[in-house]
Amino acid sequence: MKSISERATSLTFVALLGLTAGSFALSYVHLGVLNIPVALAIAALKATLVIGVFMELAVEKFTVKVTMVAAFLFVVLLVGLMAADVATRATAPLLPPPPS
Amino acid sequence: MSDAGAEHLDHFQDLEQQAHAARLGIWVFLASELLLFAGLFALYASYRAHYPEAFGWGVEHNVRALGTLNTAILISSSYAVATSVHMLRRGRPRFAAGLLVFTLACGSAFLVVKGIEYAGHFRDGVFPGGHGEFFVGKPEGVKVFYTLYFLMTGLHGIHVVAGMGVLAWLFARILQGKLTPPHTHPLDIGAVYWHLVDVVWIFLWPIFYLTPGTF
Amino acid sequence: MSATTPGLIPQGGALSLPPTFVNDDESIRSWLLTTDHKRVGILFFVATALMMALGGAFALVLRIEHLTPERTIVDALAYNRLFTMHGVVMVFLFMIPAIPGAFGNFLVPIMIGAKDVAFPRLNIASFYLYFVGAVVVLIAMQAGGLDTGWTFYTPYSVQSPSAVVPTLMGLFIVGWSSILTGLNFIVTVHTMRAKGLGWMRMPLFVWSIYGTSIIQVLATPVLGLAVALVAIDHGFDWGLFDPARGGDPVLFQHLFWFYSHPAVYIMILPAMGVVSEVVCTFCRKNPFSYRAIVYSTLGIAFVGFLTWGHHMFVAGLSVFDAGAFGILSMLVGIFSAIKVFTWVGTMYRGSIAFKTPLLYVFTFLFLFVFGGMTGIAVATTSLDVHWHDTYFVVAHFHFIMVGGTLTAYFAGLHYWFPKVTGKLYSERWGLLAAALVSAGFFVTFFPQFLLGNAGMPRRYYDYPPEYQTLHVISTVGSWVLASGMLITVGYLFWALKSGQDAGNNPWHSASYEWLTRSPPPPHNFDDTPVFASDPYDYTETGATQR
Repeated sequence: MKSISERATSLTFVALLGLTAGSFALSYVHLGVLNIPVALAIAALKATLVIGVFMELAVEKFTVKVTMVAAFLFVVLLVGLMAADVATRATAPLLPPPPS
Repeated sequence: MSDAGAEHLDHFQDLEQQAHAARLGIWVFLASELLLFAGLFALYASYRAHYPEAFGWGVEHNVRALGTLNTAILISSSYAVATSVHMLRRGRPRFAAGLLVFTLACGSAFLVVKGIEYAGHFRDGVFPGGHGEFFVGKPEGVKVFYTLYFLMTGLHGIHVVAGMGVLAWLFARILQGKLTPPHTHPLDIGAVYWHLVDVVWIFLWPIFYLTPGTF
Repeated sequence: MSATTPGLIPQGGALSLPPTFVNDDESIRSWLLTTDHKRVGILFFVATALMMALGGAFALVLRIEHLTPERTIVDALAYNRLFTMHGVVMVFLFMIPAIPGAFGNFLVPIMIGAKDVAFPRLNIASFYLYFVGAVVVLIAMQAGGLDTGWTFYTPYSVQSPSAVVPTLMGLFIVGWSSILTGLNFIVTVHTMRAKGLGWMRMPLFVWSIYGTSIIQVLATPVLGLAVALVAIDHGFDWGLFDPARGGDPVLFQHLFWFYSHPAVYIMILPAMGVVSEVVCTFCRKNPFSYRAIVYSTLGIAFVGFLTWGHHMFVAGLSVFDAGAFGILSMLVGIFSAIKVFTWVGTMYRGSIAFKTPLLYVFTFLFLFVFGGMTGIAVATTSLDVHWHDTYFVVAHFHFIMVGGTLTAYFAGLHYWFPKVTGKLYSERWGLLAAALVSAGFFVTFFPQFLLGNAGMPRRYYDYPPEYQTLHVISTVGSWVLASGMLITVGYLFWALKSGQDAGNNPWHSASYEWLTRSPPPPHNFDDTPVFASDPYDYTETGATQR
């Protein structure tokens, strides 16, 4: 198995601290609905760096990469369809039309 | 590349096969752990969709600086353990062991900060399950928020402790001279587990500290 | 049946017997602390078989209770606990672990030419986790069991004054066994195949265990979380699913079924693997399409995760989710159909031997297709509104679980009995038992479709007298089914002691596990295996390579 260089590891550390600081700063900016997606997107980027570089997934065999991508997709599936259920339910019972 | 004379377990053909199996094994295990936390994230997403204001209020009420400090601590600990793996592969076990000590120190610091936060919550009368005087007169969503907060950070904390245990054991083995090239994959595996702990926190941090805004 | 058995030393005292995994160290300690995957497989077999018997006993009592509308032999509270424990024991302590734990453990390393699984110590740990978890569940049963149904729906499961917490703790432990078994098989198949054995030449049973293992690893953690949350809510009153504290009970159902739907594919995929092996061996033919079986196995494993909401159509799901799950649920039938057509295509122009394993496969094909089609029916949202929580659903899943998985389990049991024991069972008794099991099954469960369609709810202690006829027929069927299974136990035990010697390969199968001795040696092969032939090569040239 190929290896990740120590330089790449150090650069990743700097990037992670940078992204953390950026995310922290952005959390004070009022982006409305975008606050949560932006925070999660930065988190996803950080996670990708940790998984790819620190955990060396980037140089692992193809099947291992596929496994992790699949696992991540299932996570999205579970979170997505469960939250979608709550988000798309009617909030109040539908009343029948009043008798005319 | 395998060292034909290197010691390996009997049912494997060679050390390379054993290392490959161990590495694949930890990744499969990680996939499992990911799905375990996924259920909780799904609950968070669903309940937040239901109680956007209450959750936003709860996030605001957490101490953002402490959460951010913990994020920096864990990222540093990940960097340390990743470098430790490199050092061990390069045949510098003492440096590797020293970095592991730093990682363990980071883990302890994380738990201390978490403890300070929990103590603060308990002082305010915030307990899981909506128990505690804090919740009197608060909307229901706040109870759910804090129950989830304790569940998710609690489960994460258990994993921090477990990870520290694994790293401590590996630290001992390095000092005993048992992990020398080419037989260094056990540290790779322990390190990967520790990084998972970091990754989970990378997502816990924004959802519990950075997003007081509504949906 | 005579078989030339080169290398088999005639009986004559223990010293002249070649070592097998059985006679090489026969102490109890060596069995209990074994790391030999074959012995671990037998430990799993015995434990899961006992659990099957226990779950079956509960079922018989339930059916006797349903002979009359009001109380027959138990009261309502006991009835609720019985159907709950029947489900818990059958699903978690038998169906999920049995074929992978017993047959998978025994066969997979041999089928890929390995000495053992990737992590033998983890393997025996998996067994003990299962054992400890099962014991905890049994202790909880002693304390009265629980009455929530095997699905533990909130809010009742959080409130029920029964042994909810210990049962769920036991299941949490058993879940870990499942995850670690799956992990072990995945790594084994990836890393320990014999030199030159590519993925597309492995026996199909290995593929089925591989697909099953993927599901076990990814789905079981969510169940662990779900039951842990209910136990925590019950024990510490955290109210995560309590409406009075803002909780949503339906979210528990999401978590529960995210596991439990893929779980049914954990239960059926290994059975399908058995069917593939038995069909090829007893029709002396290669599969109609090896790739079709492989891709449909992976397809089922994947698509199985996309469909869990179809268990919740009437629970209060949003219309959006109900629509999404309804459409996704239709997909999984495609892969099952591909398999059935492939098996039937394999049989066409094969040289068919009507032995007990194949008889069970015929039963499997009929009952599985029947059950599968009713599955598509209940997956149709508008129809499910009528059938949900009736006996129609009960009949559907018993057709698949019993008519499918259990039948395939019996097929595998008979097929590999000579492999494990070196003995032959009696084909005449096998035929009788298979007939009783098949007929008994149909008489038990077909009337339940009619009962459900006519409105008989499931999990109901009492019923209006109009339903009694069908209930009585179903109960009588259960006695026939049970007798077939008891007879099987009888003649297999007899064969174990006094059966005729099987030789190494009584079925003249080309599959790799038959290339070694029966019972196998301690390290599976006497010499390092080189699988030159294809596992389903029944042509002349293939035969000369064996």
